[in-house]
Amino acid sequence: MHSGIVISQTDSRPMYLQIMEQVKQRVAVGEWAPGDEIPSIRQLAVALRVSVITIKRAYLELEREGVIVTQQGKGSIVAPDAALSPRLYDEEFREHVEKVARLGELLGLTSEEIARRTKEAAKKLGEERMNEGRMAEAGAAKEIV
Amino acid sequence: MNYAMVRILILKDWYFQRLALLLSLVGGVLSLGIIAFGGRAGFTVGVILVVMTIVMVSAITVMGNTIEEREKQTLAFVMSLPISYLEFTTSKIVGNLLIFAPIWLALVAGSLGLIVMAPQIHGFFAFSVIMAIEILVSTCLMMAVALVTESKNWTITAMVVGNVALNLVGYVVAHVPAIRNGMWGTAIYWNSTATAWVVAEVGLIALLLGGTFFIQSRKKDFV
Amino acid sequence: MNELAVRFDGVSKRYKHFSLESIHLELPTGSIMGFIGANGAGKSTTIRILMGLVHQDAGSVQVLGHAMPAEQATAKLDIGFVSEDMRLYGPATLEWHMKFMRRIYPRWDQKYAEELTRRFDLKAEQKIKGLSHGQRVKAALLLALARRPRLLVLDEPTTGLDPVARVEVLGELMAALADEERTILFSSHNTLDVEQISDQITFIDRGRIIDSDDKERFLDRWRRLRLVLPPDVEVPRLPGVVQVGGSGRLPVLTTDRFEPAMVSVCNELGVAVQAVDTMTLEEIFVANVHSRRERMTA
Repeated sequence: MHSGIVISQTDSRPMYLQIMEQVKQRVAVGEWAPGDEIPSIRQLAVALRVSVITIKRAYLELEREGVIVTQQGKGSIVAPDAALSPRLYDEEFREHVEKVARLGELLGLTSEEIARRTKEAAKKLGEERMNEGRMAEAGAAKEIV
Repeated sequence: MNYAMVRILILKDWYFQRLALLLSLVGGVLSLGIIAFGGRAGFTVGVILVVMTIVMVSAITVMGNTIEEREKQTLAFVMSLPISYLEFTTSKIVGNLLIFAPIWLALVAGSLGLIVMAPQIHGFFAFSVIMAIEILVSTCLMMAVALVTESKNWTITAMVVGNVALNLVGYVVAHVPAIRNGMWGTAIYWNSTATAWVVAEVGLIALLLGGTFFIQSRKKDFV
Repeated sequence: MNELAVRFDGVSKRYKHFSLESIHLELPTGSIMGFIGANGAGKSTTIRILMGLVHQDAGSVQVLGHAMPAEQATAKLDIGFVSEDMRLYGPATLEWHMKFMRRIYPRWDQKYAEELTRRFDLKAEQKIKGLSHGQRVKAALLLALARRPRLLVLDEPTTGLDPVARVEVLGELMAALADEERTILFSSHNTLDVEQISDQITFIDRGRIIDSDDKERFLDRWRRLRLVLPPDVEVPRLPGVVQVGGSGRLPVLTTDRFEPAMVSVCNELGVAVQAVDTMTLEEIFVANVHSRRERMTA
């Protein structure tokens, strides 16, 4: 099973976290459905050219978080628990929000300023999504014509 | 001792020493022919040719497969193979002697054969036997030094020493009364003095080869 | 089955100007160990002792269950060794070398050898002396890998390789490990490679092992803390600090025993922790060596 996971060398986070995040994303997006088999630790290590011990750590953490389940001698599968996506994203969201708060503090921003700038960013993203939607419709219309 | 591996190593060395092997065989056959059919002049020329070829072949083989292993850094590759240093040493000694054998046997067969067939030089028999074995001693000396020191300089020194020794021994033996007295005669003779010389030379060869094995087995750093 | 592919116990080797002292090393079967050290630190000597090419003066060496150097011939049947100063036979072709290997190693995999020839972009009919340095390294690695050894011992396997070749080689090394019974020990200056693929890491400096641990633990333990000291406040005393850098009010502490609690300790003392940086393996190695050498001269 091709994992499709791509490691970035410039990402300064520990490798096992990168791998965990990518596995969680695949699960959240639905590419790896609950109950699906995922590559064994060794298979993934070979595919990504990353040490077995790092993959092992990532899988252990993922199991602790309930994202995957490792069956004795049979490899690992995505946990059958369906309600993962919101929980995974929530955790990530919380981490980033805390980071924003800390950075804001370092910059000397007040909490109102931090909130304002966050709101601006969300608004901008919303506008971009709308534009993407319009362009997709226009493209589809062109193709029909 | 893993004979299969020793054989593989010898064949490997022979592959890279194809030139020396060819020289030994062709030179041997050629020299034999010249000695056998060239009359008196042929004998002299033939013997000189054989001795020259012997020197060249022994130098090429020893330099080529022993010194060069260290210099060309293939020693690490060879020692990474499933062999012990005993097998490595054995393959070098046996391999070298076998390459050397044709040309040396040509010398022995050619010169002794001719001596036996030509009554006027019958007297040279004992002298020739002693000198033929002496050439073997010089070659073994060079081989032993090459294996033990792995140094080009020491090996060249050994080659020079061996050559000088050959000439010295030739002079000494030719003047030892027991040998000299019959040398210019027309009868093939053998005496206890000749035997003593041969025994001493064979003993020296055994010492050189045995000593090489002994020193190699005590070495603590191979690469 | 042996749990340890390699075991060094109190191994010493003394030369005139250099000595290896009390080397303890344990390499579990199925894992890959990266061996990092400066030039002349003793990496090559240790590896040669492992291969039985150098006799230790003291201590025992067990490789794949065989005592070295006594049982080296047997052990080497299952070992693939490539070192940086090793050369193949110039006048012969790669093909000749492959045939040579086939005669010697019972597990020689000719199909794999041919596959590697393609992947490494080599030509079997080409003479070794006509190859570039990188091609020669790949050829030697091919010959070691295709014999399907239980242990791969590599001294600087990626040195001198272009980036594409490096990735290929790392890929093949990891692929070899797909079999749980295979073990790899490699020494390298390329700490990025070591950091990425090693399970265990060992640091060696001036003839002594200065640290040996599981890679994830190494990366977890070491941190750089960037602090901001208010005036009149001293640098906090934290455990395992091996280096103090930065300036008077902006010290940077390097510690090899990081705990998240350290941040709270600093905060309680009124010291702001501006950042807790992870360190690359290279930074860890250099900090380790420097602090050790400073302690020796102090």
